[in-house]
Amino acid sequence: MFKELKIIGKPTPKHDAHIRVTGKAVYGHDIVLPGMLYGAILRTEHPSAEFTIDISAAKKIPGVVCIITADDIDTNNISYKRDHPILKKGEVNCIRDEIAAIAAETKEIAQQALKLIKVKYKIRKGIYGPFEALKEDAPQINKFISGKFQNKNIAETFHYEHGNLEEEKKKSAAIVKRRFTLPRMTHACMGTSNITASYNKTDGKLLLYSSTQVPFLYQRDMAHALKMNPSDIRIIQPVIGGGFGSKLDMYPFEPICALLSMKTGRPVQIIYSREEEFIASPTRQPMIIDLTAGVDKKGNFTFREINIVKDNGAYTSWGATTPFVIMQAFSSLYKVGACMFDATAVYTNNVFAGSFRGYGNPQATFALERMIDLLAEEIGMDKAEIRLLNANEKGETTGQGLHYETCGHKECLETVITKSKLKTQKSEVSKHSSKKSTQKRFVSGIGYASMLHVGGGAKIYRSDGCGTTLKIDPYGYCTIITGSNEIGQGSETVLAMIASEELGIDLKKIKVINTDTDIKPWDVGVHASRTSFVAGNSLLGAIKILKEKLNKKANELLKTSDEEFEYENGFIKSSISGNSIALDKVVREMHFSHPNELAIASYFYEPSSQVQNKEYKGNVSGTYAFASQAIEVEVDTYTGNVSVKNVWVAQDVGKVLNPLLLDGQIHGGILQGMGYALSEELLMKDGKILNPNFHNYKMLTASDIPEIDFFPIETNDKQGPYGAKGVGEAPLIPTAAAIANAVCNALDIDIIELPITPEKVLKAIHKNI
Amino acid sequence: MSFEIINPTTTKELLSVVKNLKRKKFRFGAGCTDLLLELRKKPEENLTVINITQVKDAVFTGIKKTSKGLTIGSRVTAHNIVMNEEIKRNFPVLHEAALNLASTQIRQVATVGGNLCTASPSGDIACALMTLGANCEIINENGRRRRIPIHDFHTGVRATALKRGELLYSISIRGNEKNKKRIFSRFIKIGTRKSMECSVVSLAYHIQTDIKGKIIHAGIAIGSSAPTIRSTDSACKFLAGKNIFEISENEKKEFAEKVVGYASPISDIRATAWYRKEVLYNISKGIFEDILSNEE
Repeated sequence: MFKELKIIGKPTPKHDAHIRVTGKAVYGHDIVLPGMLYGAILRTEHPSAEFTIDISAAKKIPGVVCIITADDIDTNNISYKRDHPILKKGEVNCIRDEIAAIAAETKEIAQQALKLIKVKYKIRKGIYGPFEALKEDAPQINKFISGKFQNKNIAETFHYEHGNLEEEKKKSAAIVKRRFTLPRMTHACMGTSNITASYNKTDGKLLLYSSTQVPFLYQRDMAHALKMNPSDIRIIQPVIGGGFGSKLDMYPFEPICALLSMKTGRPVQIIYSREEEFIASPTRQPMIIDLTAGVDKKGNFTFREINIVKDNGAYTSWGATTPFVIMQAFSSLYKVGACMFDATAVYTNNVFAGSFRGYGNPQATFALERMIDLLAEEIGMDKAEIRLLNANEKGETTGQGLHYETCGHKECLETVITKSKLKTQKSEVSKHSSKKSTQKRFVSGIGYASMLHVGGGAKIYRSDGCGTTLKIDPYGYCTIITGSNEIGQGSETVLAMIASEELGIDLKKIKVINTDTDIKPWDVGVHASRTSFVAGNSLLGAIKILKEKLNKKANELLKTSDEEFEYENGFIKSSISGNSIALDKVVREMHFSHPNELAIASYFYEPSSQVQNKEYKGNVSGTYAFASQAIEVEVDTYTGNVSVKNVWVAQDVGKVLNPLLLDGQIHGGILQGMGYALSEELLMKDGKILNPNFHNYKMLTASDIPEIDFFPIETNDKQGPYGAKGVGEAPLIPTAAAIANAVCNALDIDIIELPITPEKVLKAIHKNI
Repeated sequence: MSFEIINPTTTKELLSVVKNLKRKKFRFGAGCTDLLLELRKKPEENLTVINITQVKDAVFTGIKKTSKGLTIGSRVTAHNIVMNEEIKRNFPVLHEAALNLASTQIRQVATVGGNLCTASPSGDIACALMTLGANCEIINENGRRRRIPIHDFHTGVRATALKRGELLYSISIRGNEKNKKRIFSRFIKIGTRKSMECSVVSLAYHIQTDIKGKIIHAGIAIGSSAPTIRSTDSACKFLAGKNIFEISENEKKEFAEKVVGYASPISDIRATAWYRKEVLYNISKGIFEDILSNEE
């Protein structure tokens, strides 16, 4: 039965838009607690060195309340590998390394005292490339690991395979091999990293105002680091100025702030400067991907052989685990007979990477989609046709065990191919006459790329669930207490829309409580494009239970025995008699008359997905999202500048919940993808960051937004709320690949490295002449 | 970063403030878009910033048409330049340079004087002014004025001809030639993004011709290519008398080589010297293609 939806699918402004645009939103930076101190961190000046430290002069400054070094604390190492000491003792291994921290009465005093800490360094040469670190005679960089791997500088490995590689190689009419190099990109969130810690010495409880994306995992990690009981730590999330994956892990500055509060018994706040944000926040995982792939003479993909080396930096964070997602793209995007995948994370004296929107997928998709163009050229096949031929299909279970209950891949591809051809009329024919076109200053090209990403959460912990408690008060207002959290992506709005749709309550009467671990039920956190899917389903479950209670009371009051009621405009209406009663009246009757009962319900939703086995096989997500992009670029052959002219995006979103927010995700994702493709790179030399500022870290701006035509593809997945799938990461994932393909199409060059800077393009043009 | 701020409101007050502070550490601040960055990087102790944005002085803050051309006060903002019709019509190179500066927000506060006095090799407005044969009017704490050609204003990277106690008061540009019938005038800024960009290479040209396209006067300057913004005089002379629509391939190359002759770029994290020279050569040649294709 198809129910007409009143709010779902309609453009609805963000629930928190008014506080954001009027400056009323309270970010972590705005918090001031009584008696609060200001914290500051001293970082190393050298990426690899031994050191001694003298804090005596700094301690004497009036207003300095506390200074800590590694000698003053009793903590556990952090990171999932437990290879990262919070404060470093005796040696530093990366330019971010924290060696002392100060709490002072003012920010100025803290900064002044930092300068008076005397550090003597014995500088070491350091290792700044993963291949160098793998050499036998390389010194061990991280001394905190168990050493279960053969090489002392290996932090993590992944191996995956399916199909018969040798058989598939034999079937191949063409085999192409390339080495792809992917840069360090940083999140550059508008709100810099911040934390306010308040430890209560009388009851031993720690209150943290933190921008984490994963409050419950963070609570556990913080407790482990500080040797505390997790339940004695309460996390409150103020309004968060951007996440994009950067706040998925806990970093040293956070337990450092807690320690300063514990030592002083006063609240302490640490806020990064923009420069510190560039230097000390995690990045997208840089990597080198060796990819060999084959195609048979009809154009069917035969095999993919992948060997990835990731620069792990000096410590491990989530960047090391990006192969979870990377292998999905290689094993399961387009049909492929065999896949052999190896990835190694190697310690170096560089900065470590974390998670970043797409979680390895933009890297994988860049390599894979560039490779598809190369394979098509090799067998003389049209680049649109080869993709359509191999596209994923509904009902397919891939070699890795991902099951596509719904799949909009082909429709996405067809849409962007048709729409882009309509506008550009540029075909492969004009490409082959490019000898002529390179004589012109401006040359156009078009490129395609698709992506596959989890669309129904990702079961990488024992539970990928989310809890909801829902209540309606005697005045007909509804409060959603959800385990999920808001990092700007709009989950509050989507949840309020769902409650409004189902309960007939005006959006203005719906409150979303989602910021306090002492109140809200458990949830894994914001990642894997999961919030609307998982929290939406969880809310729908709670609504169902609450409606049963409300229906029962309504039947009693209306003297009916209906099973179905319509909830509309604050009324509950009998679908048989047509009689109706105000929702708030029903709630009052529940609360205040015998047998008294609360209008409240709780539900825990767990997606149907599986935890993958040791071979990384299994249906890891509740559903899967697909997207294709066609991008037209114009290259200025005089300067090497690439201008993105048109972007056609088709994305299998399952069902559009809020077109406004969806458009926002698409536009933001495309621009972030364009930055990854063309301009953004955190440049490093000998372990030091050369461009820790927006001046030289070339994040694109509103002026660079091209024409974007977006076509949502609705496959109505029965697992999703109203059929919806996760949408947040997808728009960024294929963008760099499509741009690279478009530039190659325009110029007849072979791009194997990001970002595609004007200088690289001009050099490639010169090589070609 | 901390400093004292003094806010004079008249020119007289301004000059007396300068006089009083002459033996102390002081800096002028208008839009402060460069100054604050500089002071954050290199904080100075006991510094006073003389905020000149409150000074009421028609010449200092205005754009005025004169019998000889145009006078632009050094406190005029990039936004003021963008909005000025006279400039847009007669000196498109200056309009375009101001329009491409940073972002809308920055253009509201960034000033012409600041762009010149920062003396960055990548100064956009300064580069455009170079093609217009501008003169700088300088005032000292005693109110004494002197004029120097813009070519002599920049003496090195972040160095100007200003002496202690002197302030850039206004810039005057010569009107276009009486017999000119057409103007080909553009500011070409090469960088990675469209806003908030510091040019990797820039090329400004202001070429006046008769009705048929014969070049009467040409001003051409390059930015981000040498320690200072350079006027490419031999390239300008090379063009004089030629018809802008009939420049041969060889002449284009010769012209471009002359322009590049003024470049002595460095390699830094934004671009290599090779790239800067290569692009400068290409876009110099490209001037005439642009002009022709706009005619079509």
